[in-house]
Amino acid sequence: MKRSWFILVAGLVVALAAYFTFYFLSIANYQSLERGPEPELAWLKREFLLGDTEFARICQMHQAYLSGCMERCRRIDLKNEELKRLLAAANGMTPEIEKTLAEAAQLRAECQKKMLEHFYAVSRTMPPEQGKRYLAWVQEKTILSDSHKTMQH
Amino acid sequence: MTMSPRNSTEESGALSKLLREWKVGSSLPPRFEDHVWQRIAREELQAPASFWTQLAHWIGSALARPSLAAGYVALLLAAGLLAGYCQARSEKAHALETLSSRYVQMVDPYQAPRR
Repeated sequence: MKRSWFILVAGLVVALAAYFTFYFLSIANYQSLERGPEPELAWLKREFLLGDTEFARICQMHQAYLSGCMERCRRIDLKNEELKRLLAAANGMTPEIEKTLAEAAQLRAECQKKMLEHFYAVSRTMPPEQGKRYLAWVQEKTILSDSHKTMQH
Repeated sequence: MTMSPRNSTEESGALSKLLREWKVGSSLPPRFEDHVWQRIAREELQAPASFWTQLAHWIGSALARPSLAAGYVALLLAAGLLAGYCQARSEKAHALETLSSRYVQMVDPYQAPRR
């Protein structure tokens, strides 16, 4: 009887040990991915099967893109502040609001153009099949992400 | 019929005296003690056991068989591995989804968290 109880408890211990061992072994490489210096780029490397040379080039391109992107973000923020101020002061459409909206749209178009150029450059650096996949995915998530499916007409 | 306290005390005193004087003359039948234990065991067997007692007894007897014991341990090992795999898979998917969203937020100024 004592032996049976020992087997019962041993079975439960084995199950717990198997669970934790498999779990921690499986997520170990993802945890190291997240703890790295640039987890988003490390994800890109893993997802699109990039070699070290390709990855190094993409990192350089990414940094160059981000430095220009920060300036564009600053301009977007300024334009949004301006629009907010105008909307708070007005009771209806004014020529200033119209002008600011046009400038914001112009800024958005400029951002999207730079973004697309970056995506094309990155995709050309990748192996052809992965580049195609990257381009389709990133366009879907950015330029084409404005969906009106949920709107009620 | 009721007894007065005085009568009761007198009578229990007499009974005690009588009991002290009582000697058992006959000897116990052979294997008396064994019979008593056998009877106790029989009574215990006839008494309905609780669910938990029955379960414990069933587990005890089942795991005493080596094939069932090995099967039980193997089953729990597989269940542990499967649970670990499913949990890790779900967390991996969530982590990758988060990282891909963060990449998009990095490159698209219109999706980046605004102040």
